[in-house]
Amino acid sequence: MFGFIFRRILMTIPVMGFVALFVFSLLYIAPGDPAAVIAGDQATPEDVAKIRAGLGLDRPFLVRFAEWFFRVMQGDLGTSIFTGLPVSQMIAQRIEPTLSLMVVTLFIAIFVAIPMGVVAAWKCDTWIDRVVMSFAVLGFSVPVFVIGYLLAYAFALQLDWLPVQGYRPIKNGVWPWFENLILPAVTLGFVYIALIARITRASMLEVLQQDYIRTARAKGVSQKSILFLHALKNAAIPIVTVIGIGVALLIGGAVVTESVFAIPGLGRLTVDAILRRDYPIIQGVVLMFSFVYVLINLLVDVLYTLLDPRIRY
Amino acid sequence: MDRRTFLKSAGTAALVASTGGLSAPALSQGANAKVLRFVPQANLANFDPIWGTQYVVRNAAALVWDTPYGVDENLVPQRQMVESEEVSADGLTWTFKLRPGLKFHDGEPVLAKDVVQSLKRWAARDPMGIMIVAQQQELTAVDDRTWKWVLKKPFPKMILALAKNNSPCSFIMPERIAQTDPFKQITEYIGSGPMKFNKGEWVPGAKAVFEKFDAYVPRAEKASWLAGGKNMLVNRIEWVIMPDPATAAAALQNGEVDWWENPISDLVPVLRRNSNINVDISDPLGNIGAFRMNHLFAPFDNPKIRRAVLMAMNQEDYMRAIVGDDNKLWKPLPGFFTPDTPLYTEAGGDILKRKNIAEARKMIQEAGYKGEPVVCLVAQDQPNTKAMGDVTVDLLKKIGLNVDFVATDWGTVGARRAQKTPPGQGGWNMFHTWHAGADCLNPSSYTAIRANGDKAWFGWPTSKPVEDAIVEWFDAKDLPAEKTAMAKLNTAALEDVVYAPTGFFLGYQAWRKNVTGVTKGPLPFFWNVGKA
Repeated sequence: MFGFIFRRILMTIPVMGFVALFVFSLLYIAPGDPAAVIAGDQATPEDVAKIRAGLGLDRPFLVRFAEWFFRVMQGDLGTSIFTGLPVSQMIAQRIEPTLSLMVVTLFIAIFVAIPMGVVAAWKCDTWIDRVVMSFAVLGFSVPVFVIGYLLAYAFALQLDWLPVQGYRPIKNGVWPWFENLILPAVTLGFVYIALIARITRASMLEVLQQDYIRTARAKGVSQKSILFLHALKNAAIPIVTVIGIGVALLIGGAVVTESVFAIPGLGRLTVDAILRRDYPIIQGVVLMFSFVYVLINLLVDVLYTLLDPRIRY
Repeated sequence: MDRRTFLKSAGTAALVASTGGLSAPALSQGANAKVLRFVPQANLANFDPIWGTQYVVRNAAALVWDTPYGVDENLVPQRQMVESEEVSADGLTWTFKLRPGLKFHDGEPVLAKDVVQSLKRWAARDPMGIMIVAQQQELTAVDDRTWKWVLKKPFPKMILALAKNNSPCSFIMPERIAQTDPFKQITEYIGSGPMKFNKGEWVPGAKAVFEKFDAYVPRAEKASWLAGGKNMLVNRIEWVIMPDPATAAAALQNGEVDWWENPISDLVPVLRRNSNINVDISDPLGNIGAFRMNHLFAPFDNPKIRRAVLMAMNQEDYMRAIVGDDNKLWKPLPGFFTPDTPLYTEAGGDILKRKNIAEARKMIQEAGYKGEPVVCLVAQDQPNTKAMGDVTVDLLKKIGLNVDFVATDWGTVGARRAQKTPPGQGGWNMFHTWHAGADCLNPSSYTAIRANGDKAWFGWPTSKPVEDAIVEWFDAKDLPAEKTAMAKLNTAALEDVVYAPTGFFLGYQAWRKNVTGVTKGPLPFFWNVGKA
């Protein structure tokens, strides 16, 4: 097992190298000019050219890539073109809100979606099943920002239970932290709940047809134990897989959710950087997300072995 | 500790935490009243008002850095850091004296050498500064409080140059910071203005914090825009960046923010219905909508075709697309200058009143249009440019031009408009933008009106009558002479179609009723703004 984990971690190095080259090249050929944004609308073309030269953006592709790549190899993600702050510092400023949002969303999603899927499978073809599946279709169909606006209107503006926007660090207290995350996490979790609930239902339906389930029933095992102890564990592999894949969904959804709820997270940092063409930040954030995604996939693979002892690497 | 005890302890801790047991103490009402939460028009992505000349940077900089002079609400320059000035009889030597007691945020006194270095950096970037430098003999500090600017030729607009609120303003920094190359960004944000910038709390894209500078000595005169006494009634100003207008509207209604600089017109009715919110015009100088045609390439290298486009335009279509049905927010603009200001003129503006599609179509055929595609860049992420772009495309089709509509984002437009290559090779034929009315009062900071070919703004128009009129304005010694020059300029710029003005429009601002002292102006003025 440890050999497998070590090999997988080693494999991340060429993956990250490829991602780095791909992102850098993509940004190089993408239209846009940060110098023009910095210079402002009244600037003359000469001003823009001088700022571009000052930023070193007029140098050849290979020189810029080599310089950036060697800095990244030393753990230096560079400096933001606009703020002049180190990219690592800007990512560090933003990582807590995004991480908090994703963790709370994951908790809400898992604790709501898995029971929903299990119950839907158990009550297959009844009105309960149809309600759950209708919710799943709704979760997939309604855009994140629409859900966000509706929740903010109801729970913040009308009922005045929760704040509309913003983020409070956890060091300022657990409740203020959580209070600001409830609406965004529910918003972001909507599609995720729908996805997990559907997969859980499908996987459970398959397992519930198995002989050992019939045997357990014949032995008089309670319905609760059959569902949550015997069936769910064997249905868990696809569920864990989809939770892992869904993290990418969360990263994408966080961009919109953070904008709607004015959360100063990595999603907004990325969008702002793309709109301004702040290349070092875009490169740094994409590299970081890629690394996180590779790690999550590794974690999912390791979890398989815990859930199913027959799986060996 | 066994498993059950551990779970009990953890559960108790979670309960205490969730009921607020671990929360930070809430701010008292008094303390809260000293904090003003403001939603600016855009993200404060950098904070060097000379290197980056976006309006949002200028607006924040006006809190932190002071200027030698400031314009008041009558558009008249007034002394700000300066105590007195003297100009020699031949108009060549300007001597300025700083008022006493001025200090930077690091406690150091403001000296003439700081002013001199700051003006050198500013003059390298500012159009008026560049004109002064072109005529400069020397710019030197005479003593700690006095500096002198010696010129080869009189420059009657000197005080206007040092007072104007157009970006870049002549912000005064400590000498060591002002020594930074004007095309590189400063890293220390120390000024002598009424508020200090809290760099430690700055989260670009999310928050910027300003704290009251206790050693600031305001002028005794009543505050008026950038002039007069800048008395701070709050201790802390937090700029909360909100990319989503609906969120900003909800936050204002919920009392989570106090003042929103630029609510979009769609949300204004909602805000008006809230009894705790005031809504009013933000900047009486408003904005001038524009699209620019590339004078280097066909078909717009032909002045007849440019004039045909002007003749066909209906500015109401553009303005309705931007502001909707609110008639208080727009007016037609047969010219290039801000309405209701001293130098406003409509001379030569008849072409913009004709709105004659048939005649324009005929003119285009007579001008020898060969069906070349018109590459029209339209930034979709800016509501104003998108609205204008949609109207223009319809207009061009109606007058028989072959349109290549390029829907893109503002970042791409910003880069592509600088390309002088032919439209089919990465260049362009037209793009849309708008100019702050404060920049369009006269030619002093009006880069977009210049028609000096390669050195002109994007589109690179060439027109000797336009340039002659600009020189005439700069040399004008009194208001009647300035007005004469402005009439010539407006006429010539329309004749050669330096650009196409699409109309004049205003915007709103909104604030909670417990906030006092909010004024209308080209930028948000925070001095004398209080919060109950």
